[in-house]
Amino acid sequence: MNHALRQPWGDERPSSARVFLGPLEEDVMDVVWRLGAGNVRDVVRHMERNLAYTTIMTTLDRLYKKGLLDRELTDRAFVYSAKVTREEWDRRRAGEMMAGFLQGPEESQHLLLSCLVDAVGTHDAMLLDELERKIRNKREELARAK
Amino acid sequence: MILPYYMRLLCLCLATFFVVHALGWLAVRSMAAAVVRIAGTMRPRMASRFLFALRMAPAAVTVFLIVGFCVPSYVWLEPDLATERVGWFCLLAAASGAAVWAVALLRSTAAVVLTGRYMRRCQAQTPRERADDFVVVKDSAAVMAMAGVMRPKLVVSQMVLDALSIEQQQAAFRHEAAHRTSRDNLKRLLFLLSPDVAPFVGGSRRLERAWATFTEWAADDEAVDGDQERALSLASALVRVAKLGVQGSPTHLLCSLMEDDRDLETRVDRLLRAPAYAEKPMAPVVAFMRSAGLVIGGAAATLLLWPQSLGGIHRLLEHLIQ
Repeated sequence: MNHALRQPWGDERPSSARVFLGPLEEDVMDVVWRLGAGNVRDVVRHMERNLAYTTIMTTLDRLYKKGLLDRELTDRAFVYSAKVTREEWDRRRAGEMMAGFLQGPEESQHLLLSCLVDAVGTHDAMLLDELERKIRNKREELARAK
Repeated sequence: MILPYYMRLLCLCLATFFVVHALGWLAVRSMAAAVVRIAGTMRPRMASRFLFALRMAPAAVTVFLIVGFCVPSYVWLEPDLATERVGWFCLLAAASGAAVWAVALLRSTAAVVLTGRYMRRCQAQTPRERADDFVVVKDSAAVMAMAGVMRPKLVVSQMVLDALSIEQQQAAFRHEAAHRTSRDNLKRLLFLLSPDVAPFVGGSRRLERAWATFTEWAADDEAVDGDQERALSLASALVRVAKLGVQGSPTHLLCSLMEDDRDLETRVDRLLRAPAYAEKPMAPVVAFMRSAGLVIGGAAATLLLWPQSLGGIHRLLEHLIQ
């Protein structure tokens, strides 16, 4: 799934430009966020699937050109680090998506709001169920101990 | 502006209140984050007392300084001259002090009136024989709360009673009884009475929120008192009431079983871990607090009886009035 983003760091691109990330780019960004900083070899090692060194190198270079990563030459290899935090990225992505819905026709606005209300309600209900389950488990644990 | 003798005194008291209280308020406000972190290392009841003391400190210290020092120094040392002028700064500070007090008095009066009205409405729905300290309401909302200041009563809606088992009800009642014992509604009223410098900015909210959280935790601990079965009953009562729907509090002077479901998960997790025993008064700490109180009181009395200190304060007041 591709996600659109209004450029949050905005010095290299016009502010209206959007960054689209593919699944591989998202995975690579995940690894860089987790590592903090690393070269191509580090990223390859931490990827969940086996991918060629050159594939990761190209992806990192593409992310750098999109303005999502910084890089520094250390011992003849680039060390990449994230230019935006995961939180900033998620916030921008959510904002972009919401803005897209709210700019659309009235039906899509209503759809968005009802989805949000449903999501919050479901989350609350799930949390309460989860808490009830924890209490039940504890009760059983205590009964077994007696 | 020329004012009569006692109007000048009133003006000075209000101006002094505004200036000293503002300084204390700013100091406490700037320390709030650190204070809340420190409170987090204490046991809940101690943390709630600590936060309450800090929240009240600026107003309490300022009132003490005014009553103990400003008024005596003015009455004893200020000659009754009709010609003394009151400066604009003093007048402005006095007006600000009066405004701050007016807002504090208004909001606390409103809270007392609203609570009284709420209690009368609840009692009207209760059979007379149950109305002593326990009010059952046939409200459509889920309510279980200790309401009122001087003689707080437990208000509980029929739907909550129906939803909870006997053990859960008992655990929840013990929780509310802990609020009554620690006079939490009176403390809430004192918060309203202890004014913010900028009433609409709400600078003390962080301390009050943290106080409310620790107060709930302390009431949980006191309700459970180390009993694992009771802890489980209270935890499941909390979840059941949350499932019925958490309603906004109709008045500020009310301690609900579930005031805010944001803290629910933490409270349930605390109860499921080894439940805490109710804190017993710690003799050394109490003795230390009493000794400290005596020392501070003694020092204040010495200062008060020492003519030079009153003279010094009087000179400061002269600067303020001009």
